[in-house]
Amino acid sequence: MARHRTPSLARLPLLALLLVGCATPPPGMERGAELFETCQPCHGANGEGTPDIQAPAIAGLPQWYIEAQLTSFQQGWRGKHADDLPGLRMRPMAVTLNREGDVPSVAQYVAALAAIFPASTLHGNAGAGAAQYEQVCVTCHGADGRGNELLRAPPILQLHDWYLVQELQNFRVGARGANPADTWGVTMRANTVVMSDQAMQDVIAYVQTLR
Amino acid sequence: MIPQASTYAASIDNVILLIAVLVGFWFIAAEGMFFWLIWRFRAKEGVKSEYLEGHEPHVKKWITWPHSLVLVCDVFIIIGAVQVWYNVKQRLPDDADATIRIIGQQWAWTFQHPGADNDLDTADDIFTVDDLHVEVDRTYIFQLQSRDVLHSFSVPVFRIKQDAIPGRSIMGWFEPTQTGEYDVQCVEICGIGHGVMAARIHIEDAQQHADWIRSASTGTAQ
Repeated sequence: MARHRTPSLARLPLLALLLVGCATPPPGMERGAELFETCQPCHGANGEGTPDIQAPAIAGLPQWYIEAQLTSFQQGWRGKHADDLPGLRMRPMAVTLNREGDVPSVAQYVAALAAIFPASTLHGNAGAGAAQYEQVCVTCHGADGRGNELLRAPPILQLHDWYLVQELQNFRVGARGANPADTWGVTMRANTVVMSDQAMQDVIAYVQTLR
Repeated sequence: MIPQASTYAASIDNVILLIAVLVGFWFIAAEGMFFWLIWRFRAKEGVKSEYLEGHEPHVKKWITWPHSLVLVCDVFIIIGAVQVWYNVKQRLPDDADATIRIIGQQWAWTFQHPGADNDLDTADDIFTVDDLHVEVDRTYIFQLQSRDVLHSFSVPVFRIKQDAIPGRSIMGWFEPTQTGEYDVQCVEICGIGHGVMAARIHIEDAQQHADWIRSASTGTAQ
């Protein structure tokens, strides 16, 4: 009895389909969505963050800022200080974005996520923080806290308050902004070195009132 | 083969070589015998197959003699392996030159070096991330810790591998024997970033190491 075999040539479209299925999407939203699957375990499916593991909300942050921070991690300007435990976790993840177009793609995807404004968790003195903010922070981050791309100052309204304090402390100890090549980080660090923990809590409490 | 850069790297390689040679010899001998027997007692016209229970001395000796010889080989392997195991894992040198602390976390290695005073847990300690600096021909004791999950500290050129377990401080030692910059890796699956949890060990001569301590202490280390 004759056996029915699929002709070899007939299998080629299937093979081609499989190969196409394995191909990396070109830079853009599709690749960004694919890459973001690596971010989800910590930053959440919607970029809402996971405070339990000190992974901040990142949804809706500007693409230029996400790109700048991923590059900063890749360069070792962030995430390479022994006291910055969440940063130590993040840096290797940024390093895996090593193909051309990876960083802009995932940054574009994150920027397109709807911004989330996490509830306040700290209890600083917003009144006391207002003076500090008006005196120092307002120059770059703006009176409304929405940032200024020209000065590479990100919006700070949609970030967790504990994360903002944590990063102010990181700037203070040199876990961020210590490398001379990180021009904007150095600028930010200069504004934090004399801040006390209480002053940081106060100014972030004020930032929460700007929403 | 990657360099042997610790005092015990050669002895570990030798144990592995001894095991490979002995096991390889018996593997080749057993397979050779197996295929020779298949050929020697292949089906032949007019010859009826014989059922063997294996109790006959002239048959059984083909099992008992190699078995005894394999056990003798095992003794050699055990003696060699236990000696190396004791030297590398079960003892700490009395005359160590320095102690360092190695802390694993998802997904980075933090190294705490003694500073210029050569004492750990003092104000001049030097902390680095993913870069370990040691001096050649000096004996180091390390305290290995984990901040979160299981990791395993591995320096291939030293041939050392030691698990890091949360809540425990595991002691070990090494003595680098040649200068250079080599890989440090995590060899225990520890999460999504395990594959990129890599670091470098810088083995320096006395002058280079003193220079590094000086520069790191003043915050100018690269």
